[in-house]
Formats: sequence, structure tokens, C-alpha cells
Amino acid sequence: MLSHTLANGAADADGGGLSLVEWARELAGRVVRPTAAERDRDRRWDQGIFAELSGARSGPGLAGPLVPRALGGGGLSATRTCALLEGLGDGGRDPGLALAVGVHAVLATVLLRAFGNPRQQRRYLPRMASGEWVGAVSLRQTQGAAHASTVTARPAAAGLGGWVLSGELDLVAGAPVAHHFLVIAAHDDGSRTAFVVDRTTPGLLINDVGPVAMRTCPWGQVMLDGCVVPEDAVLSTVGGAADEVEPLLAALDWVFLSAPWLGVMRALTRDAIADAREHHLFGRPVVHAQSARFTLADQAAQCELASGLLYRAAGQFDGGGRPSREDAAAARLFVAAAARAVTEGAARLPGALGTTGDHLIERAHRDALFFAETGGGTEVLRPVIAASLLGIG
Amino acid sequence: MNGDHRGIDTAPSFPGIAARAAETDATGRIPLQNWKELTDSGYLRLFHSPDIGGTGADGPTQAAAMEALARACAGTFWAATVSALLCAKLISTYGDTREHARLLRPLLSGERLATFAVVEKTAGSDSGTFRTTVRPAGPAGSDFVITGEKSRIANSPAADLAVVLARREKLPGDDGPDWCLAFVDLRQPRVQRYAIPHMGLRGMSWGGIVFDDAHVAAADVVPVPIEELAEGMAWGWLFIAFAAIGIAESALAASVRHARQRVSFGRPLAHMEGVQAQLAESHAQIDAARLLAHRVTCERAAGRSARDLIGMLKIYATEMAVGVAARAVQIHGAAGVTSGHEVERLYRDAQMNVIGGFASNRLREQVAEGLGLGPAVYRAFDWVTPSGLGRDPVGLDGLVHAAGDGA
Ligand SMILES: Cc1cc2nc3c(=O)[nH]c(=O)nc-3n(C[C@H](O)[C@H](O)[C@H](O)COP(=O)(O)OP(=O)(O)OC[C@H]3O[C@@H](n4cnc5c(N)ncnc54)[C@H](O)[C@@H]3O)c2cc1C
Repeated sequence: MLSHTLANGAADADGGGLSLVEWARELAGRVVRPTAAERDRDRRWDQGIFAELSGARSGPGLAGPLVPRALGGGGLSATRTCALLEGLGDGGRDPGLALAVGVHAVLATVLLRAFGNPRQQRRYLPRMASGEWVGAVSLRQTQGAAHASTVTARPAAAGLGGWVLSGELDLVAGAPVAHHFLVIAAHDDGSRTAFVVDRTTPGLLINDVGPVAMRTCPWGQVMLDGCVVPEDAVLSTVGGAADEVEPLLAALDWVFLSAPWLGVMRALTRDAIADAREHHLFGRPVVHAQSARFTLADQAAQCELASGLLYRAAGQFDGGGRPSREDAAAARLFVAAAARAVTEGAARLPGALGTTGDHLIERAHRDALFFAETGGGTEVLRPVIAASLLGIG
Repeated sequence: MNGDHRGIDTAPSFPGIAARAAETDATGRIPLQNWKELTDSGYLRLFHSPDIGGTGADGPTQAAAMEALARACAGTFWAATVSALLCAKLISTYGDTREHARLLRPLLSGERLATFAVVEKTAGSDSGTFRTTVRPAGPAGSDFVITGEKSRIANSPAADLAVVLARREKLPGDDGPDWCLAFVDLRQPRVQRYAIPHMGLRGMSWGGIVFDDAHVAAADVVPVPIEELAEGMAWGWLFIAFAAIGIAESALAASVRHARQRVSFGRPLAHMEGVQAQLAESHAQIDAARLLAHRVTCERAAGRSARDLIGMLKIYATEMAVGVAARAVQIHGAAGVTSGHEVERLYRDAQMNVIGGFASNRLREQVAEGLGLGPAVYRAFDWVTPSGLGRDPVGLDGLVHAAGDGA
């Protein structure tokens, strides 16, 4: 077998000799995995599981790894956060729940960390890091304005101050359980502003609709019916989303929402190797069949290749420099294709589609297809990379 | 490509070699200036510790240097790296660094060129078919002779020294390994060589060696269990992966240039989304391979094996480069299939890496074994017919017509 250090080359060690990937894998294996298939069938979010992941005793909580310690967070590096999410995907075997955790723990918190004013940071971040407040984001809004904006912002009636938000957002991960939402809204002149909108805002309504995939993620559609929000709901500058919030939000989605999939790919590969040892075809052990062996060899390679791109992109968030959008997009483009290749390879092996077990292959198959379309899918990722290569666009 | 080669400032670059790459390919010969540039750059010494004449470069520098040379000229990269990396590693790993300093020193200084001769005319993937044998020169003699034919070997027509995998003719009572590495001086009368014309990597010489009781000093015959050799061979897989990555990078860079310049339907190709999609996929795949290549080079430089990862890398990188080169040819249109054009050369070069140093599928077998699946099991293919799937079915009316047809 590949040695552990090789298989997890990019993850650094936590105390006690366990890498952070291993630590998270073990935690998620205990807390998430046992009910994953059942919650998937029932389309259920379990707040207790989230609380347990958030308040993990022996290591960093999963709710706010990137929130500074002074604000109650884990104060982890981006690289270590990536490792945490990889371990969650691997041990938990639940892409939907890992998506929900990633959206809250990375997308929602980092935007406040990066662009929130001190008042906003003090108000939101400690309670987000503890898991008490969930922040929700629409996956439609993580690709800048690649999709036309569906929410408008107009100045509130004279004298009142603040803004009136109207419109609707779907694919909001975390909506049913969220305390607040990140909403990017367009002004009449086409410029856009990011807002943090509390759930209690009058006129805000949540509908219980979601995609067929990622069923363990709490999904919803958010309707904003003339919601009046104060000036202090503005994240960063008015009209500045295109230069500030949107590029960061896109890169965070591309990198950190990919991380659990590296874990899922590793879990599928490990399962496939174990299954191949047990099954027979034409009276021969499957491990003797060359096509199965080649499939497994390629699956293992896809994991390592994806890991390299992912940790490079994550590492660029550490050390104070500007992460490269090209590298973040390349990581997502590759991981999404690799996730599908690994799931498909695993599904083709004899005995893969059993009637027992936790049906990770079937769930991952459905979810990987969905995952490949999020973050903009190839139609957004390829132009982003090409623009950078060609110096145009 | 505006690929950011971070942290490789100390690695050499090879502008002259790059400028002569087309000429090197066309003439099928590596110009003398290339060797001078290589020697001056320190490339040949990077991979080895100072005690044998190396400079002990760190992993990132080794990786960056291989990538840079492969980008400059894949044929020159192969020739130089087979000798200075692969053969020198084999000699220093399995030989004796003190005894064989006389062989290593001229390889690292660039005065001599080495070749690694394993494969014969039979199936190169299967060492069981190799017949070349080393035996004692005389009844009581301390030296040895070698007999047999190695074929399709990089550098062999031009090399001075061969590291040869051979069988050992064992005397009764000798329970040592069945195989050895023999370090054979090729500049002797009982050695004949021939060149084989080849599709790509044309600057590198490639061909066969016939040993007809050629002389080998006793100290230059090193018995090695064949399973242990894979560790040394992995240096070969590693550099071949870099060859592929360098070729793919050059192909992508050429594609980007061409896409910016070539005008079609009133705009540069760069504005065509189909072209952009090809560039983006190539870029992501190259980076995936490149990052793994740099990672495993660092593992190796730190003295760790990383053999399974290198196997995965060789498979992926070499097949990836073929895909990238094919896209580059497509983006270039007819220019890409015109003899003498850069991407036409890269397209030919790319395919060589898939086969050289273990063809992909043979290597997949080894990677699979490394995943804990046990060694490859070969059995005559005889299980379809007994399972009832080896026959055409009868038609919709059953056996009636089947019988009629037979009559
Ligand atoms: C550019 C280049 C440089 C080379 N340099 C050297 C050198 O320096 N030294 C040297 O010794 N040799 C060298 N070779 C030879 C090379 O190692 C062999 O060509 C290679 O190992 C394959 O052997 P073969 O060509 O005889 O193909 P075969 O062994 O006949 O294989 C043919 C095909 O069958 C597949 N195959 C074989 N066995 C299996 C298996 N068990 N399972 C599944 N598929 C299998 C292979 O993948 C391949 O696709 C070089 C070749 C090239 C192209």
C-alpha cells in the first residue's frame, strides 16, 4: 500500500502524530458516516451532527477553522482547512453534508473575515465559529455575474437610510437552518453590492426547494420581498462586489468545496480495492482481472493528481499573497472531472452496486454530476483559465 | 504559457539548446554546442551527492532543471538524462561508489555518455524473454565476457559505456542472484552497434548493441536480484514523465501563441471558445502532472522511494502529453502537420514517452500491485465459452433455423 505520508503528502501533522486529514476522517467516520445513507434517503439535515463537528473536543471545530482565534475560531491555515475538509469527505462519506459545512465554514465566514467591518466581525464570527449561527450562500452567486443577478438593491425611502432588496435566490446551501445569508444584489447601474441579511428581516421568506442531488445539505430558496436592510448590512463597499467579494467567493468555492471530494475519491478508491479482493468474475478473483487492476491504478493516480492541484491552490491563501484565480479554477476543473472518473470507475467494478452497505457509489455518482456543474462548471472554469493563459477576456 | 515557475531561480535554463531543437530533430544528431551548454550549466551534476562528483541539488532544483531541459529539447533531454541521471544512479546505487568512481566521473563531467540496456528484440515488457548472459571469461579467469543482443535502447549507438541487465551463468554452488548489471565498455571490437530510425526524439540516438563475447572486468559485474532493480528503474520513469511534461508545456505555449496570432472569421482564434476550452483543459492537466512530478522528485531527493507515485505519474504524464500535443496540432491546423514545425515535432516526441522505459499498461500492472492487489496473474484466456457467452445466439425462431443454416 502507499504509505500514509505519501497518500496525504500535502497535509501537515496535527498533535499526536495524526495528520489533520486523519483526525477529521476519524471524527467524521464516527459522527457523520453512520447515518449518511439514511439521512440521504430522508433528505434530512441533522443539526446535532453539525454541533458535534463544530464543538469537537480534541481538535479544531469544523464550523470556523479560518476564523481567527481572537474571534473564537480555529485560526487554521487554508492548507490545514483543506485537509480538514478532505478528511470530512473521506470519513463522513456524505458529500451533501460536507458541502453544507464547507459553505458555512469557508464561504460564509471568510467573506466576513475578509470584508466585514469590525462591528460585523464581532457580531457574526464568534457565533458562526461555534456553530451557533449558520451562514448560508446561494451557489448561483459564487461565479460573479456569470449568471444574471436575480436580486436588486435600491436605496430605501429618503431619510430611512439602508437598502431595499428584492428578488429570489435558489440553490441556497444552508437556507432552512441559516441565521443569515450572503446576498449579492445589483443596482440600477449594473454595479453590485454584497449584503449580510439576517433571517429575521421582514419580507424574507424561505421555500423548501432544492436539487435532487446533495440531499443531506439543507437547501432552500430565498425570497426577498422588498426587504429593508440597514446600511450596516453592506459587506465592504457599495457597488464594489465585482472587485472585492465576487472574486474571493469564486476562488473559495472552486478550492474549498472541492476538498471534500478529494476525500470522497480516496474513500471510493479504498472501497474499490477492498471490494475487488472479495469478488469473483468468470470464476477468477476480480483482482486478477487486468481491466479492474488498471482502473484501480488510474483511480489512485487521479487522487494524487487532484490532491496536488487542490493543495497548491489552497496554499496560495496562506502567506498573505493573492491566490491565483487560474490555479483555483484549474483545481476545480480537474477535481470535478476526477470525481466523476473515479465514481464511474468504481461503479464499473463487479459487485460495486450492492444492495447492502452505505451506497456511497450511487450517492457519489449522483452528487458528482451536480458538483461538476457548481462553481460554474466547465463553461465558466475553462474561459477563466483561458483568459489568463491568453491575456484576453 | 505564463506558467509561474515559482522558486526555481537556481535551476539552469537552456536557451541555446532550445534554439537548436528543430535542427537537432532534423539532423538526428545532438550538436556539440548542446553538450557544452549542458556541461557548463551544471545539469549533469545536479542529481548526485558531492562524494561522487555531484552538486547535490535539492528536489525543487532538480525538478525545475529537468522540466527546463525537456522544454528546450526533448531529444537532448533524453540523451543527457539517461546518462547523467539514470545510468549514474544505477552505477552509484548498485555498484560501489569508490570502485566505480572511474565510471561515474566522466559521466558527470560530460566526457562520456552511457546507455541502459535492458530490452532485447523479444517482448520488452517481459524480462523472462531476455537472453543476454555474462559468464566467466575462462575456467580460472577472474574477468567475464558478455553475449547477446540488446535492442531499441536510448543512446546505444552513441554511448561509450553500457549498463547492461544480463543473466549470470552460475557455477555449481553459486546461489547468488540470477541477474546482474554489467558495466560494459562499448569501445571494444567485440561490440557491434546499429541505429534504428525512429519517429520522435530524433536527436537522441536509438538502436541496438550486439555483444559477441565482449570483455567485462570482474569488478564491473554486479549481481542484483531483479526485483530490486525496479527501484533504480523508477529514475527512468521519473525523467520520462518530465520529458512528457516539457513536451506538453511547449505544445501548450505554441498553441497559446498561435491562438493569439491566427485570425479566422475576423478575430484571433483566441476568441473562439472551442479553442479556449482546449487550452484550459491542457493547462489543468499539465499542472496536475507537473505538481505530482515536483512532489515525487522531492521525495526521491530526500532519499525516499515514492516508486508507486512515480509509476502513476509516468502513466498519466506521458498519456496526457500525447493528448495535449494532439490538441496543439489541431489548433495549428495544417501548420501543425507540416514537417519542421515545432508542434509536428512535439507530436512525434510525445508518443515516444508512452512506450519508453515501460509501456503504460505494463506499468499499470505494477501500480496495481502496489495498491495491494497482489502480483499480476496471467492465465490463458479460456473462460468465456464455458460461461455460455462464447457462441452466437439462435434467431428468434430458435433452433429450427439454426439447424437449417448448418445443413
Ligand atoms: C523512446 C524509447 C526509448 C527506449 N529506451 C530504452 C532504453 O534505454 N533501454 C531499454 O532497455 N529499452 C528501451 N526502450 C525499449 C522499451 O523499454 C520497450 O519498448 C518497452 O518496455 C516495451 O517493450 P516492447 O516494445 O517490446 O513492447 P511489448 O512488451 O511487446 O508490449 C507491447 C504492448 O503490450 C503491452 N503489454 C505488455 N505486457 C503487458 C502486460 N503484462 N499487461 C498489459 N499490457 C502489456 C504494452 O503496454 C505495450 O502496449 C525504449 C523504447 C522507446 C520507445
